[in-house]
Amino acid sequence: MEIRKLLFVTKFEDLCYDALNSLLALRNAALEHVIFLNVIEREKVAMKRGSGYLKEEEVKLKETANIRFIDWAENLFEMGMEVGAYIEVSTLIPEILKVVKRESPDLIVIGHSYKGAMKQLYAGSDVSELIRRTEVPVLVFKHMREDNIVPEKLFERPLLATNWSDTGKKMVEYIKGFKNVIGELHIMHVVKESTLKSPSAHDVQKVRKAERKRLDALCDEFESMGINARPHVYAGDPQKEIEKAAKEYQASMIILGSSDKAAILERWVGSISKNIADKSAFPCLLIPGKKNS
Amino acid sequence: MSKKVLVVDDDPDVRSFVVTVLEENQYMPLVAQDGIEGFEMIEKEKPDLVILDVLMPRGSGIRLYRKLKTKETLNQIPVIMFTGIALRSFLKSQKALDEFNGEEVPEPDVYLEKPVEPEELVAAIKKKLG
Repeated sequence: MEIRKLLFVTKFEDLCYDALNSLLALRNAALEHVIFLNVIEREKVAMKRGSGYLKEEEVKLKETANIRFIDWAENLFEMGMEVGAYIEVSTLIPEILKVVKRESPDLIVIGHSYKGAMKQLYAGSDVSELIRRTEVPVLVFKHMREDNIVPEKLFERPLLATNWSDTGKKMVEYIKGFKNVIGELHIMHVVKESTLKSPSAHDVQKVRKAERKRLDALCDEFESMGINARPHVYAGDPQKEIEKAAKEYQASMIILGSSDKAAILERWVGSISKNIADKSAFPCLLIPGKKNS
Repeated sequence: MSKKVLVVDDDPDVRSFVVTVLEENQYMPLVAQDGIEGFEMIEKEKPDLVILDVLMPRGSGIRLYRKLKTKETLNQIPVIMFTGIALRSFLKSQKALDEFNGEEVPEPDVYLEKPVEPEELVAAIKKKLG
């Protein structure tokens, strides 16, 4: 699947032009159109006792956003790209979904704030709600260092964590769209601890060997598309192991599915994606499953 | 009969400003709020002039302008670009797209950077339509 159109959702404090700039590597894939969205939270302009609706504040916030978007848009237009912008007073997730419906983007990029526990919780719940309600992949952008410098080469070494679900197949198809952008793709599968509960070392090794073979086949599939790929088998708690692998291989981002399985399983599998997206220091690309299951 | 002028802009305040200016000067205003709707209106209404914003959802003014100027049946319709995007960036975008598509799209008739006073807008319209 080609990534032609990208929806860039920004509150400006979390996601700025440097982040957008690191995504422009996708022009080597197929990216040609960027839509900006800034949602001004209602409470910032809502009626307050004695002051009414804060129209002046709305104008100020909209114009401030407009000035930023014009500056960014000029840069992109000069590259020959197509750009659109929305600035709305609304609620974040419903507004994103409305724009997704109008524009049909191939990727949604959203920031993740680390500023305090409450805000982090808020940002985390936004991402979870978005993933639950859209079929469009979501890139949760993170600033990888404390000084807020963005990863320059976001697609240099992505780590793809697969659990062999149907969503995993969708992920593979989606990642093929990045073939001219990815440096080296690391693919991992985490063998659950329960699978390893055997008195025989031979049986445990058989499990590892089987998983490794499946990963090899997947790597071959990617390499036939021109994407360098390396397989890794890990064992233990998926969330911890994915994070560990991302550190060991200095991943530039983590790619995860969010499950299309039945409700209980979805909660379990979904929670891994959600927790990693919320807590990991790495940017996370979350690929949702089908919503009709 | 009044001449038809199509205003394509996503900002309702800007549309309202331009419509008022047009009505006060005996032109017939038509409005569209994005590039796709704008092009549909141009094909349907064949306006005498288009006043076009650049940065809009669902198709920018840049793409609409190029579509208009490369379509034989529509390319004689004059266009006033009316936008916050600087002329310098607009011209660079045209150059990049000309090179990429192997086209040579002419520059717009008039390029006005927002905001403008009503008199400046009227003068630009009159220059094209009389």
